[in-house]
Amino acid sequence: MDETVSEFFRRTILKIPLTEMMTILKTWNFLSENQLQTVNFRQRKESLVQDLVLLCEENRASLNDAALLDIIYTQFHRHQKVWDVFQMSKGPGEDTDLFDMEQFKSSFKKILKRALKNVTVSFRDAEENAVWIRIAWGTQYGKPNQYKPAYVVYYSQTPYAFTSSSQLKSNLPLLGQALTIASKHHQIVKMDLRSRYLDSLKAIVFKQYNQTFETHNSTTPLQERSLGLDINMDSRIIHENKTEKERVQRVTQEIFGDYPQPRLEFAQYKLETKFKSDLNGGILAEREEPLRCLVKFSSPHLLEALKSLAPAGIADAPLSPLLTCIPNKGMNYFKIRDK
Amino acid sequence: MELANTLSQDGESRGGVLAHLERLETQVSRSRKKMEEPQSAQAEESALGTRIHELRRLRDKLRAEVKQHQASVKASTTNVEPDQTLEITEQESLKRKRENVKAILQAYRFTGISGKLTSRGVCVCISTAFEGNLLDSYFVDLVMRKPLQIHHHSIPVFIPLEEISAKYLQTNIQHFLFTLCEYLNAYSGRKYQADRLQSDFEAFLAGPLQRNSLCNLLSFTYKAEPEGQFFPFCARLLYKDLTTTLPTDVTVTYQGTDALSTTQEEQRAAHEDLFFTKPLHQVFTSFARKGDKLDMSLVS
Repeated sequence: MDETVSEFFRRTILKIPLTEMMTILKTWNFLSENQLQTVNFRQRKESLVQDLVLLCEENRASLNDAALLDIIYTQFHRHQKVWDVFQMSKGPGEDTDLFDMEQFKSSFKKILKRALKNVTVSFRDAEENAVWIRIAWGTQYGKPNQYKPAYVVYYSQTPYAFTSSSQLKSNLPLLGQALTIASKHHQIVKMDLRSRYLDSLKAIVFKQYNQTFETHNSTTPLQERSLGLDINMDSRIIHENKTEKERVQRVTQEIFGDYPQPRLEFAQYKLETKFKSDLNGGILAEREEPLRCLVKFSSPHLLEALKSLAPAGIADAPLSPLLTCIPNKGMNYFKIRDK
Repeated sequence: MELANTLSQDGESRGGVLAHLERLETQVSRSRKKMEEPQSAQAEESALGTRIHELRRLRDKLRAEVKQHQASVKASTTNVEPDQTLEITEQESLKRKRENVKAILQAYRFTGISGKLTSRGVCVCISTAFEGNLLDSYFVDLVMRKPLQIHHHSIPVFIPLEEISAKYLQTNIQHFLFTLCEYLNAYSGRKYQADRLQSDFEAFLAGPLQRNSLCNLLSFTYKAEPEGQFFPFCARLLYKDLTTTLPTDVTVTYQGTDALSTTQEEQRAAHEDLFFTKPLHQVFTSFARKGDKLDMSLVS
């Protein structure tokens, strides 16, 4: 086995936490049960990794096998990457999309290889007729850098592709082109949507986040929302603004629904607007040029946080549509200008 | 007696006067009995008849008594609380009616399209089925506004919902729902066939079944007999019409390195026909059945 491949194996296996080692190796399914049994998984990580690399050498593992292991690791740790969303479109009146996965894969690889000789492309099929693609970029004269790969997740016969933000931005147009042509689309556009949570991004663009429907078959009736008041609460305590609290609850429920919100970490608003004020005068009101500023909301779970703002009394209900439109519009990057 | 014994050997005419008298005596006694029988029978009959009359009289008397008793009980209960008993029975009948209507509404999903009114419009449920098997249900929540809007839905992203709603949602909602129903039922049917092939006939396939989200392109390498290690055929099924569950294009190719014999060519052509006309899993069911029979060639 090549020195570089061997090193690549070592560094990839080293990344895997000990608690997940067995699961990931089994998913990889490259080393047999017998081989795995010969390894002592309780030893120091360094020596464990050495043993495993030796086994890979025994099995004559190739670069592609290592790339596959890297894909599996990334699938288990997808939150470690930040994902962008691309939207593709077809021309009008196109024939039925007869998507052939093998054709797609070979076409995608061919397009990249034709443009860039030094590139490693690997595929792994995933559930729901999706494919994970790993691309290690090289240059005209340099071998592909296996330690900074780009990932693309594509669900067949959909117009959306999810890509991990590649450090090498110059290759993005080529990637877009390969995707578009291989999936038989005409155009590709980057959406203003980005997050670490790939599954939430999928839920947003596939419109799968609100999946509660009223039917005659459901046994649970529409529940009366309680104000979070304890039934055992002292009867001497009265809520002064009960009607207002109920209104806020109702409005929040109408906007955010009863379903768990998709997970995003931030929303960013780039403002280029003139200053608006109720008061007459003031230095800023006279300013002709628009103000430029960036407002960023960050949270471990942004939409749930926004949902809890009004009931907690921190903001008025209803919230600004700029905040509530995020899942509907599939955007968390906004540019706001004066009309 | 001795006289009778010695004389009987000569026949009846000889029996003598005594024997003759004996015979006459028995005859008379028999006929007398016969005459007495109807008389006794008659006596019995009349006795039974009177008994029957008596019993009937007793029965009528008792019946009358029971009726009287019932009437008096009814009169007493109606005097006490007439309204409550009526109410209870009304309540019960209403409850039963309500349960009945609920059950009918729940059962409506078996018609394929059903719905429930919501605070903002209606939530339509499209229940798909194939070959009598109830499959997945899909929902479209509509907001009754001008223009009609889809609030949220559970239609898979690869079904051309935007296209269909652009064409029909505002102008002809019935057509919108029926078209959507067509697409979803066809998709469910194709998916069902592909899933059945993958799970039930794994032994007949070499390697996994190649498919896509819409299940409108299926590709697999297979054999038509349960035994044997050689998978001679490669099939490629295209479903260009998204509203059908049978393929529009079928290509079966022979995989072997040796030349194609006439029987194999016949098989190949026959398989192509089968895939065109029968659902996928049924074709493989027939392959499996052929393996059980000995002389299939003679039958076909």
